[in-house]
Amino acid sequence: MNDYLPLAGVRICDFSAVWAGQSATMYLADMGAECIKVENPFIWNPMTRAASPRLTAAAAAMIPPWMGGHPGGDPGPRPWNNCPAFIHVLRNKKSFTVDSRRPEGLAIVKALIRVSDVLAENLAIGTLEKLGLDDAAIRRERPDIVILHMPAFGRTGEYVEGRGYGSHIDAVAGSTILRGYEDSAPATNVQIFAGDFWAGAHGAIAVLAALRHRRRTGEGQTIELAQVECSAQMFPQAALDAAWNGQEQTSDGNRSIEGFVPNGVFPCRGHDQWIAISCRSDEEWRALVAFMRNPSWTQDLSEATIRAAHQPMIEAHIADWTANRDRDELFHALQQAGVTAGPVMSSKDVAGDPHLAATGAWQSLPATADYPETPFGVPPYRFSRSAVGLRTPPALFGEHNDYVYRELLGVGDDEYAELEAAGHITNTYDPELVARA
Amino acid sequence: MLDFTSHIAGPYSTKLLADLGARVIKVERPGGDCARRLGPFLGGVQQIERSGTYQFLNTNKESIVIDLKRPSAQELVRRLAARADLVVTGFPPAVAERLGLDYASLSRFTSAPVLSITNFGHGGPYRDYRLSETTLFAMGGEMFSHGLANREPLKLGGTAALLQSGAMAGIAALGAVHARELHGIGQRVEISLFDAQINSTDRRSASILAYRFSGRVQERPAGPASGIAGGIYPVADGYVEVTASFGNYWQRFVDMIDDDALRQPKWLLPQTAMDPAAKEEADGIVYPWMLSHTRQEVWREARRAHAMVAPLFTGRDIFNDPVFRERGLWTELEHATLGRLPMLGRPYVFDRTPWRLRSAAPALGAHTAAILHDLGYSDSEAASLRSEGAAS
Repeated sequence: MNDYLPLAGVRICDFSAVWAGQSATMYLADMGAECIKVENPFIWNPMTRAASPRLTAAAAAMIPPWMGGHPGGDPGPRPWNNCPAFIHVLRNKKSFTVDSRRPEGLAIVKALIRVSDVLAENLAIGTLEKLGLDDAAIRRERPDIVILHMPAFGRTGEYVEGRGYGSHIDAVAGSTILRGYEDSAPATNVQIFAGDFWAGAHGAIAVLAALRHRRRTGEGQTIELAQVECSAQMFPQAALDAAWNGQEQTSDGNRSIEGFVPNGVFPCRGHDQWIAISCRSDEEWRALVAFMRNPSWTQDLSEATIRAAHQPMIEAHIADWTANRDRDELFHALQQAGVTAGPVMSSKDVAGDPHLAATGAWQSLPATADYPETPFGVPPYRFSRSAVGLRTPPALFGEHNDYVYRELLGVGDDEYAELEAAGHITNTYDPELVARA
Repeated sequence: MLDFTSHIAGPYSTKLLADLGARVIKVERPGGDCARRLGPFLGGVQQIERSGTYQFLNTNKESIVIDLKRPSAQELVRRLAARADLVVTGFPPAVAERLGLDYASLSRFTSAPVLSITNFGHGGPYRDYRLSETTLFAMGGEMFSHGLANREPLKLGGTAALLQSGAMAGIAALGAVHARELHGIGQRVEISLFDAQINSTDRRSASILAYRFSGRVQERPAGPASGIAGGIYPVADGYVEVTASFGNYWQRFVDMIDDDALRQPKWLLPQTAMDPAAKEEADGIVYPWMLSHTRQEVWREARRAHAMVAPLFTGRDIFNDPVFRERGLWTELEHATLGRLPMLGRPYVFDRTPWRLRSAAPALGAHTAAILHDLGYSDSEAASLRSEGAAS
């Protein structure tokens, strides 16, 4: 059977961590690459499989849901296999374990590189080099490999030693300063990780492009994706306003950079219920006014440029009007009246959304020892012929050791037993590492 | 590539490929892509060739103006599609059907894959609903948890959500190209902006899965910081973002500030993290240190200590930063009427097939004549297309 996968026959040696790197390789795995995650049972990579390798239910409850919301509130003995923050970026991948700091482990990694088409990493600067895997060493094993580096602030230049997660990258990329309340200092901003999403998508695009060049010419190459430079492109309006006009854009709360008035988030009936409304044209404004039954305050506001001068007044009136209305009824009624509106959906709302259910956004995955049967999100791109989708569940730690060592690398029974005895081959983190956590 | 997209998300997806060498023929409606009316405008002058949004999104593309509603436009579109390796559309489903640019119609005269970018997909109850940057982020599941508990949820800056969805569409586009070249197949590829938000990284997938696993809903926090240190601090000339509350990040943070009072063992006790008096004591050391340093001074010390601390940059900082300049974040474009202008450069560095600005975003219809000629239209046929208003 031909499943027409775009990256059929491509193998990735995946050293990626956290979200940016792990999502980049996930998108490539979605496209059919065989993505083999290299995991070290003696090193706990922060923000890559769970908050901690040892996590009680009480401790998990103290951690925000996106990170601490393990099944039934209890992470169990293997938190790394059921942390909601990370298993969703492990779909369609394989996982194998090896301590690459030891010679026999490094030899295994090199053997994997020899049969890989792509090597991807976003570890702290210098990590691979310390293992003896600089670009030249990688290319000695596989001359035509595509190497993707995703450093936070670049591999050259004065910021090379900068350390950071998504929130720090967002800060330097200009995202954080643009996303606060218009009446508050940026110090009240909460962390968000838009840069991880962005860098992950661009990492996948870069590799897809490099693989196309390689298929046509046989030539591999090295890609450097400095996450901060990539993320700066998420805010081109602010960057170009500065570059062209010397203007400094700051946050305008929920108002529109596209000149839509009104544009914002308004309270609805019930606890923490909100609706987003944008009048993207004067026509949509007229539709909103008609829908509100022509209240007197809307007079003389037919043009966006006039409305722009009265935003606080307009927003206060709309908030009064929405406050006692049902959010979802209002959403559908406004859309049917020709006004752009959308509910501010919580994770619970999304999980129960009828449109997502009707359009196949979820796929139930069977229970494992670490989580019950659960609907997982499918990739957003739908291909009519290529089997681009959720083909295999998130890779459990060390789940594919047998495949990688025996089938792929041809390790014999004796060597396998030795490597297992030496702790390379396992489906759990080193007990001492767990005890120390 | 034949590109029927407009506004922000679709054009970003095709820009990604254009900037890596694809020839992208952008079909614009008479009057032009609505993004031409979006700021910032060069010199503040609102004119369709001076839009920063448009200039950013359409580098390296060619522009042909076609009125898709005219009967004679159909043959023109057929010829364009027949020569394309990839067709990308951004029409709402009902509009695509009306114009004969849905997959069923297009696949009659091209074997190329067709990527359709829509708001909510081709089925389901929201199929024909409208969408904006703000409603997209709101429905995407992350806005609910962004902002403060006692206030309204907050959007991202600019048009980040639309651009993010555009980037995801770029992956789909390249996937379609690979499938065509590897397997010799065309196909229908669909992506909705809504799906691209819902099922993506950046707390969204994580929060949804967390709800399914645990019943816990990710809400907006009461305040920006937790633990002894963390969040955004004011410094002498702006702000910095700090993570110091877990792992060895506290030690690195202390190394950065280099004050012995913070080196006492008590700071590492779990109960200290919960103690408001301890937080106050730490603030008494941290805030004065922060306020006596500039962002660059703080960041220099942070890099020395490998502390998870970084400055909040503005657009102006990003433009003026000498390190970014030297590395090549900025480039210059040569625009036929506007002259030389700075433009955001490469999002990634390829050592063999570099990202390259070959041409500025096209003037409206700048390539109409050349493309009609390429497609085999004689001068008189081209003139009649123009007089009918089908092309301009």
